[in-house]
Amino acid sequence: PSRSKSKRASGFDMAPPSNAMLSGGTVPGQVPGVSQTMPGMF
Amino acid sequence: CSRLHTRPSISPTLLLSNMYQRPDMVTPGMDPQGQAVDPRKIQEHFEDFYEDLFEELSKYGEIESLNICDNLADHMVGNVYIQFREEEHAASALKNLTGRFYAGRPIIIDFSPVTDFREATCR
Repeated sequence: PSRSKSKRASGFDMAPPSNAMLSGGTVPGQVPGVSQTMPGMF
Repeated sequence: CSRLHTRPSISPTLLLSNMYQRPDMVTPGMDPQGQAVDPRKIQEHFEDFYEDLFEELSKYGEIESLNICDNLADHMVGNVYIQFREEEHAASALKNLTGRFYAGRPIIIDFSPVTDFREATCR
């Protein structure tokens, strides 16, 4: 009863920022598909 | 302590690892930008966190106790211990919270062997 101020949004289900979600795949600055070494090539 | 405690397969108590982050966790009394933080703000932040947790967890059953480690040391930092009256309610909360997020961070939840917090110190 003491805390009847307007209710803040709960932190539950607050997803991480989208850039953090994407960082699992590509590293910034990395061009996809270029860095992999091709078999038989130097 | 650094001992590896066995995780029970069922327990009325749940552990949410490193869930609470103090606003002055980087430097005590300062926010991450190096500005002094009003201790009342820290208290308010803690109470908001407590309220969020209590509200969410009450959905799954009656809560016996809710402990939040409001510490700055590495050990157990920000750990949340929540004891339900019934094991089944803890199990339901575990099932419902697994894989969700809180304030942009994933929730790490598991059963905890602790059932009496006065006796919870490791000896």
